[in-house]
Amino acid sequence: MAELNETIHQPVRLRIMAALVTLDAGNEVDFTYLRNLLEVTDGNLGAHLRKLEEAGYISVNKVFVERKPHTYISTTAEGRKVFQEHVAALESILKRK
Amino acid sequence: MTEKIDPMNVSAPEAEETLAAIQLMAQKTRRSIASGGTSITLIVTGIVWLVGFLATQFLSGAIVAYIWVGMSIIGSLVGVLLGSRLGKRLRSTSFNITARRAITFWSLLILYGITIILLARPTDGKQATLFIILFIMIGQLSMGLLISFSSVWWALPVTALALVGYYLLSDIFYLWMAILGGGGMIALGLYIRSRW
Repeated sequence: MAELNETIHQPVRLRIMAALVTLDAGNEVDFTYLRNLLEVTDGNLGAHLRKLEEAGYISVNKVFVERKPHTYISTTAEGRKVFQEHVAALESILKRK
Repeated sequence: MTEKIDPMNVSAPEAEETLAAIQLMAQKTRRSIASGGTSITLIVTGIVWLVGFLATQFLSGAIVAYIWVGMSIIGSLVGVLLGSRLGKRLRSTSFNITARRAITFWSLLILYGITIILLARPTDGKQATLFIILFIMIGQLSMGLLISFSSVWWALPVTALALVGYYLLSDIFYLWMAILGGGGMIALGLYIRSRW
């Protein structure tokens, strides 16, 4: 049976990954947009993003747009793969019921 | 190294709840993106078509051309404005290459469209209009397939509506395109924005 990934299983990180994986590969979202979508605080989102970045599941890109700093976030190929495996593991738990 | 959780330690209701949370988040994300992209394109294009085709049906002379040009300029400006707002929150890492290709594609499509219309010599304004609609829908379908598949599908019913109106309702073709083409796009855009 596939194993569940502890990094991803945490509720906020799970929702972050679910949102990012929904985007087409190669697309990235603004930090503020993601924060509003998830309805979390800046600090909370920042802490969870760091965990995911350290695990290599997301990529954080800091750039200037019209002279204002913007942080863009996207999933890595590894992140997408691990997330799909996590979902498959959850589905296998339901099948075993 | 990534910590793993033994699936045996997770109950079925917990797994079900987690999968539901994933689905909900994915749906919310799609809705949020759609409300900024596809729906705005549909609403803006729909308003341009509604006003433009109503003018074509009920008015005559140079005023019709002015209305079309004016509405197209306003539509393009609103599209660029809203597109740049959306671009700040969601962007593609390959945007510059994609944007250059899209501009080249639309420029070439317009040139090919003009050439084909000049060669084909449409019999009347309705046939010329149908040619233009078909070219725009080919462009929309191509862009949708190349850039974002989620925005591709609406070009097909609009094309079907245009063909039905042209062949079966020739007398009220422009009115048909205004209400069902333009109005339909506005309604669909509003529906996507509120429900999808």
